[in-house]
Amino acid sequence: MIHSVDTILALVLLSILFSYGYSQLFRLIIVVGFQGIVVSIVPFFIGHDMTAGGIVFTIATLLIRGIIIPMSIYIAMKKRAIQSKVAPIIGYQASILCGLGVIVAATYISRQLNIPSISNYTLLFPTAIALPVTGMFLLMTRRNAIAMVLGYIIMENGIYLIGTTISVRALHIVEFGILLDVLAGVMIMATILQTIERTFDDVDTENLRTLKE
Amino acid sequence: MIESIILWLFAISAAPFFSAMILKVKAFFGGRKGPPLLINYYTLIKLFKKGSVYSTSTTIMFKLGPIISLGSAITVLMFLPIAGQQAIFSFNGDIIFILYTMGLSRFFTIAAAMDTASPFEGMGAAREAYFPIICEAATFMIFILFYRLTGELQLSAYFSGDNTIALWNLAGAPLLFIIFSFFIILLTENSRVPADDPATHLELTMIHEVMVLDHSGPDLGLIELGSFCKLFFYSTIISRLILPFDLGFPGLAFVLYLLGLALVYIAVGVIESIIARYRMDAVPQFVLTSFALAFFATIITLEFIR
Repeated sequence: MIHSVDTILALVLLSILFSYGYSQLFRLIIVVGFQGIVVSIVPFFIGHDMTAGGIVFTIATLLIRGIIIPMSIYIAMKKRAIQSKVAPIIGYQASILCGLGVIVAATYISRQLNIPSISNYTLLFPTAIALPVTGMFLLMTRRNAIAMVLGYIIMENGIYLIGTTISVRALHIVEFGILLDVLAGVMIMATILQTIERTFDDVDTENLRTLKE
Repeated sequence: MIESIILWLFAISAAPFFSAMILKVKAFFGGRKGPPLLINYYTLIKLFKKGSVYSTSTTIMFKLGPIISLGSAITVLMFLPIAGQQAIFSFNGDIIFILYTMGLSRFFTIAAAMDTASPFEGMGAAREAYFPIICEAATFMIFILFYRLTGELQLSAYFSGDNTIALWNLAGAPLLFIIFSFFIILLTENSRVPADDPATHLELTMIHEVMVLDHSGPDLGLIELGSFCKLFFYSTIISRLILPFDLGFPGLAFVLYLLGLALVYIAVGVIESIIARYRMDAVPQFVLTSFALAFFATIITLEFIR
């Protein structure tokens, strides 16, 4: 019988697959928001006791990961009229095939690892492995700086999922620390982005090669 | 057995009617009245009454093309369990036979197009050869999944009697992906929007239509009938997948089946009305989505059923 958590995670895996093929930035942002929401809800279902603190924490994570970060990126994109294509180095079709390979590898690895505490949730660990690899892939193969930031957030979502699944009973304070980390990271990236954009009128990172002393 | 043959004859004769439903839906979206639902029969009768014109540069290949494409389309229908009934023929591994019978018809269509020595037709033939390759990979992925679920390699094991409901019970969520994937295959294989536009009048943007430009009269009629039957084949499979219920009476199952068919054809019509066709280089990515979905469904299923 398929667990309800697994059903949501199947959708996350599908969104991972699509994020390889998307050329429009706003679709990628929607994917990131969706993944952020699911990633923050899942630990609540698997092991965390439903205390008041737990609920508050889940809602806070959900708000930051699922709504605030994607929305702020979207607003920044609209405000500066940044080009909405992700400018890939590897083409979309090859990317989709890479995505399939990543998902196959992730399921294979998770089967090998076979962690007993989460063995009830079949898709949890494959998703947790596929997310960081996808983020890494987007970081490496997209030239648009915003796509890179989104890749970083996807990667971070995956790390969060791995962290919460392996240490099922991590303290909330630790998770909150991770969350602050992301927020700070995104802010720093936003500042750098703004500088790149002001200098070159574009967020294509290829432009940075022309910098000289 | 007799029922199967009657259903088979029904399929061939009803296929043009359902294709006209697409035109009706498109007309509805355009705010027009649209052609009558029997338009395709009138067209076929008109075409069969005409004579044929053959270019002097063509050979026997050109005349074989339409006959084989219709022949393979109705052969494939013989293997299809219509409305959950048994198929006329069925043997282990008939899926592969079916796929390559369709491949045969594609080969002869392409060969007939090349035979005319028209540069436009060669261009269409190249596209027609390219896109279905990805479709074939996707179709095989779907059948690998079905094989994994049922352990059988024949269409009757998936689509007749209670077997489809059994499939849903085994793997409900992946089957949703399969339906989407199969719908994309349907659109591509039958050259519908957004992969190809059957109503286009510009040779440069045609895929399937450009290959049959030189056919006339009865030959064109055979090709049209063949393409109606092919669309009917794919629609029947999707109809069975979305409404797999058998409610006791055979009559009721048949009504459900017709309902499913109408749904599929209306969905095709709606998609043709609201989506523009893709740029030629975006089509492979669209088809690849169907492969990715099927592949994804297979991985997920393997993960759950060890």
